[in-house]
Amino acid sequence: MNALSVENLCVKADDRHLIENITFSVEEGRIIAIIGPNGAGKTTLIKAILGLIPYSPGSVLLFGHSMKNANSHGRVGYVPQKLEFDRTFPLTVSELLGFTVPPIYSFPFIRKKGEKKHISKLLEIVGVNELADRSIGSLSGGELQRVMIAKAIVNDPKILFLDEPASGVDIEGQERFYDLIKRLNKEKGLTVILISHDLNVVYRFADSVLCMNRRLICTGRPAETLTDEVIKTVYGEMMGAYIHSCHEHD
Amino acid sequence: MITEFLSYPFIQRAFLASLMVGVLCPFVGNFVVLRRMSFFSDAISHSAFAGIAVGALLGIDLSMSSLIVAMLVSLLIAFLSEKTSLSHDTVIGIAFSGAIASGMLALGMLKGYRVDIFTYLFGDILAITNTDLLFLFIISILSIVILLFFSKPLFQITFNRDLAQVEGINVRLFEYLLFFIIAVVVTVSLKIIGIILVTSLLIVPAAAAKNLASSMKHLFILSCAFGLVSGITGLIASVYLNTASGPTIVLVSIGIFFLTVLKRQGST
Repeated sequence: MNALSVENLCVKADDRHLIENITFSVEEGRIIAIIGPNGAGKTTLIKAILGLIPYSPGSVLLFGHSMKNANSHGRVGYVPQKLEFDRTFPLTVSELLGFTVPPIYSFPFIRKKGEKKHISKLLEIVGVNELADRSIGSLSGGELQRVMIAKAIVNDPKILFLDEPASGVDIEGQERFYDLIKRLNKEKGLTVILISHDLNVVYRFADSVLCMNRRLICTGRPAETLTDEVIKTVYGEMMGAYIHSCHEHD
Repeated sequence: MITEFLSYPFIQRAFLASLMVGVLCPFVGNFVVLRRMSFFSDAISHSAFAGIAVGALLGIDLSMSSLIVAMLVSLLIAFLSEKTSLSHDTVIGIAFSGAIASGMLALGMLKGYRVDIFTYLFGDILAITNTDLLFLFIISILSIVILLFFSKPLFQITFNRDLAQVEGINVRLFEYLLFFIIAVVVTVSLKIIGIILVTSLLIVPAAAAKNLASSMKHLFILSCAFGLVSGITGLIASVYLNTASGPTIVLVSIGIFFLTVLKRQGST
């Protein structure tokens, strides 16, 4: 079954198309990267798929169900590009994760033993066990991204949407981050939809790539799809792909 | 001397009322502060003023009329914010202006000087009746229980609306619920603190707690503690100093706020 099927998706604002006629599907358990220049509509596409902004016409099916009826709670995880929140919010990492752990309707300050264990396990999976009692406002970019991944996978989702998840994170942090995503994909069969500007990441981690600039330009395996010509079409004439061959450096 | 004061029934009622609003207002106020809704709660208290004036004109119980109008205005603000492209602030400003203008118009149509209406402007905790106390108790328990039970989705929405929606939370429903509860808590506190200052008791203890709290649990415990101390200390001070109780309570809470600012500065 396809984890995600998007057909003829269009998003308009003030009679102008932000994205138009986007059609693609993603097999379960795959990692697909979405690339395109700034303003190409990548975030708009993700937000439309997730039902955060309206679209018309078009259809979106998650595991064969519309987003509205898919009982998305628990099936979908999402890490947005820019997480807008008040950094002075006196909220610890474990409290943040606790808000997502079921049951969703309960008295929160009477925390069940199982909930604490679940949170501890999640933090261990993403490698930030030591951050449980830290305030979220005090976290670095890389730490926050890992915590947000932990939050996104609390309810064992089947599909994960990541919008430029490693922006503002150093190179080492990025490596660890994408290794984590790859591990979750392999161990849990998680389908991953990832927006990235880093073609190196796309080559290394994605099973397929979707190139867009308000419209769909191409889709396919990175090695076959990301040719010089395609890069120029997507990003403009000044750009091109430099394929670095692996050799010993002096 | 305090025990002598507490022997008077009206002081006992005032004491219990200050206990309850001292906990209820900051508890709800945490959501107001975290969601930056101070202007909203101010608009609701002024809408309640319109409700009181209209209630006086129509001969309806003033507490009931203020509650109905406050609830209607809160739902209207929520609805307009969602359906128009206007910012939340603008919608609140429109509701705020409309409420005050309507209230003043209704007030102008009343014959004679209505002491009861002006009691609502500044509050009079010493005029609390047993019925008011019972109503306040029921509202306090219901509001706190509802907010605690639905705290997970409410905190999720407060943290990040989009994430909450993706996780399957009915954001609109819970926002309407929160607006509704704020409106109810504001109107039920009016007789005690008054229209002009009720927002202060919502936000000042919560803001003070935010200066010191390291977790949400601490935030709620501290804010209620500060509210409780403000309520009781302010009441006792107002009896001794023969000052209006509402403003005295608020000034005590502001004093606590500045102490927390100094404590925070000291620890950084």
